[in-house]
Amino acid sequence: MTDGGFELTLPATAENVMVVRQAVAGLGEALSLSGSRIADLKTVVTEACNNVVLHAYDDEPGPLQVTAVPGDEQLEIHVADEGHGFRPRAKDGDASLGLGLPLIAALSDSFEISGGARQGSRTTIRFGYAPPDFSNNGTHTQAPKELAMAIPPGVMVRPVLARVMGALAARAEFSVDRLADTMLLGDAVSSSGEGDFSDGRVGISITDGDGALGVRVGPLVTGAGERLMAEMDVPGAGSLRSLASSMEIAKGETPQGEAAEFLVFEVER
Amino acid sequence: MAPNRGSFAGVRTGELALERNDAGMAVLTISGEHDLSTAPNLRRRLDSLLAERTPVVIDLSPATFIDSSILGVILEGRRRAADAGIGFAVVHSNGADAVDRVLEVTGLRAELPVHSRREEALSEVSGSSGKPPE
Repeated sequence: MTDGGFELTLPATAENVMVVRQAVAGLGEALSLSGSRIADLKTVVTEACNNVVLHAYDDEPGPLQVTAVPGDEQLEIHVADEGHGFRPRAKDGDASLGLGLPLIAALSDSFEISGGARQGSRTTIRFGYAPPDFSNNGTHTQAPKELAMAIPPGVMVRPVLARVMGALAARAEFSVDRLADTMLLGDAVSSSGEGDFSDGRVGISITDGDGALGVRVGPLVTGAGERLMAEMDVPGAGSLRSLASSMEIAKGETPQGEAAEFLVFEVER
Repeated sequence: MAPNRGSFAGVRTGELALERNDAGMAVLTISGEHDLSTAPNLRRRLDSLLAERTPVVIDLSPATFIDSSILGVILEGRRRAADAGIGFAVVHSNGADAVDRVLEVTGLRAELPVHSRREEALSEVSGSSGKPPE
């Protein structure tokens, strides 16, 4: 199912959207899509074209370009214009952008809009031949129970991690002193180097508990956890470790199933 | 552009039909394909019915396609009718999959709500304080 497809260029008018819709319906029939999937395809393409007609040209004439490229599993559709991008414009009674984009999102596998002011816009839609699964009521992923970050090692780690930990501590109503302690621990973790992490990225997950933050750093290469803890000791001034209510090295696995270790600590309010 | 353009290549372009019953209610029946190009006509018809305070049932059953601009006109009509205390209801009875799907995905089947029988829709608007029967 990789042959065929079409390219269509026509004036961007409301009356021409129907022409495009019939073209994709014909293509859907040629691809032996089910009746309901052809209906979805018509909706998705209509809404993408509506955005061009309504928002690209400020009532000036301009082209609407539609390309449909059938692949093995899905149809890739590009809807493009040479206008000035999707300017927010209130039009009397126009609810198209209110419901149009959610319709495209719900009925296609994925879509993206690119472009910007004075360079035209392009909506790319990947439309699976099989309908999307609505059986989970539109909730496609489980909400994460914790915050997980992966940051390339370098100058970004310290400011990003310190701010995230500070924000979570503030939300958990930590005192100013405990907030400062938390950010100090974040700084200490930030000092770990690229070689400490199994996959070369600084991985940190933070659980926002009742008045406490649980932090898990890793996966680390063997020995890196001990090294990080040792670096928290300040000669003659105790250890930053004491700012945490608990700190330990835990054994675990990388996402690839390889043995790894994690530095796990908790900070309380 | 004329609102009613008939049919070609098996495609029924958008048509609107208005019926009035003895109780002073109007049924606006939408058939064929409706989109951005026919939305202004639907809006005009709805505007004039609401201006004369006529309770309205929109029957989508013979429609083969509607897009978000049509949904927008229906939602706007419903809002204006509610503000003015005029009956307004939508029915889709054994109609096209394409219309079913759009109502379902947008959540409007429950939100409007959309009745599955015209009698139900008429019964809903009959309790409204629209124009008294002549």
